[in-house]
Amino acid sequence: MADYREAPLATRPKTLDPNEYFNLSPDYRRAEEDRAALRANLKRQYQLQLNNPHRTELIEDPALTRWVYARASPYPHFRPTKKTSLLGVMFGVVPLFALYYIFKTDRDNKEEKIKAGTLDRKFNLSS
Amino acid sequence: MRTSHSVRQQQPVNMAGVGFQRLVKALAKSKGSGLSVLASGCRAASGATKGSLPGPFPKTPEERAAAAKKYNLRVEDYEPFPDNGEGYGDYPKLPDRSQHERDPWYQWDHPDLRRNWGEPMHWNFDMYIRNRVDTSPSPVPWSSMWKQLFGFIGFMLFMFYMGEKLPSYQPIAPKQYPYNNLYLEKGGDPAKAPKEVKNYEI
Repeated sequence: MADYREAPLATRPKTLDPNEYFNLSPDYRRAEEDRAALRANLKRQYQLQLNNPHRTELIEDPALTRWVYARASPYPHFRPTKKTSLLGVMFGVVPLFALYYIFKTDRDNKEEKIKAGTLDRKFNLSS
Repeated sequence: MRTSHSVRQQQPVNMAGVGFQRLVKALAKSKGSGLSVLASGCRAASGATKGSLPGPFPKTPEERAAAAKKYNLRVEDYEPFPDNGEGYGDYPKLPDRSQHERDPWYQWDHPDLRRNWGEPMHWNFDMYIRNRVDTSPSPVPWSSMWKQLFGFIGFMLFMFYMGEKLPSYQPIAPKQYPYNNLYLEKGGDPAKAPKEVKNYEI
C-alpha cells in the first residue's frame, strides 16, 4: 500500500492520505473526532429507522427537506443590492429590449431586400 | 326521546356561530399563512418542526451555533454564504466538490448519490451528482489541456486557410480520345477518310 498511486481522475481516499496519520495536531484530531461523532449519530438514527421491523413508511431525510426548502424559497432573503439589481436587469430587462431591437432590424432589412428583389435565399431547397 | 334530548343540551348554542367565532379568533391571532391555521387552531406533529427549516442569515454567535446544530455541522465548520441579499439565508457554504470525488468504497447510506442520511447537501447538489458536473482532478493541468486543444484547432484552421490561398493540384489537360477523336462514334462519314489527329508528342 505504500506505493499506492491514485487513478488519474480520482482524488486520494481519505484513509490513504498520509496527512491523516502523520503530523497530526491535537486540534486536528479533536476536530476529526467531533465530525466522526456527528456522522456516527446520524448513522445511528438512520440505521435505527432502517432496521425497525414495524416501520411501514419511507424514512424522511430532514437535510433533504431543508435543501429543497432553501432552494425553493430564496425570496424571503432577497435584498436589492447593486449586484442583484444588476443581475436582474441583465437577465430580465436587457434581453427583452435587445432581442426586440435585433429581430426588428433584421426583419426590416429582410423586408426591404424582398421588396427590392435582392434577397439571396442561399439554403432554400424548394427552387 | 324528547326529555333526554333537552337535558343533554344544557345551554342553547348557536352551532353556526361557533365555527365563525373560531375562524375570527384564528384569523386575528395567526401570524403565519396556511390553511391549517384557519381550519383548526393546532398543527400536526408530522412534518418539519418550526426550527428545523432554513432561516435568515445568522448575525449573533448564538444564532450561528444554533444554525450549525440545525445543519448537523460543527460550529467551526459552519460557514454561511455571505449576506448580500442573494437569497441563501443561513444555508451553509460547503466546498464545491462533486460526488465523483467521494470514496467509492465507503458504505454510503445512498450509494448512488455517495451521501449519508442527514448529511448537509451542497446548494448545487443536483449539479454535482455523478451524472453531471465532475470536479475530480484532471490528469494534466487545465492550462496545458487548453493549450493543446486550441493549439491543434488553431493549427488546423491556419493550414486549411493556407490551402485555400495557395492550392496545388496535379497538372491536368483536357481528355484525349482515340480513333481520331472518335470520328466514327461522333457520326463521321465512314466512306470519307478522317482527318489524322495526333494527341501525343514523341
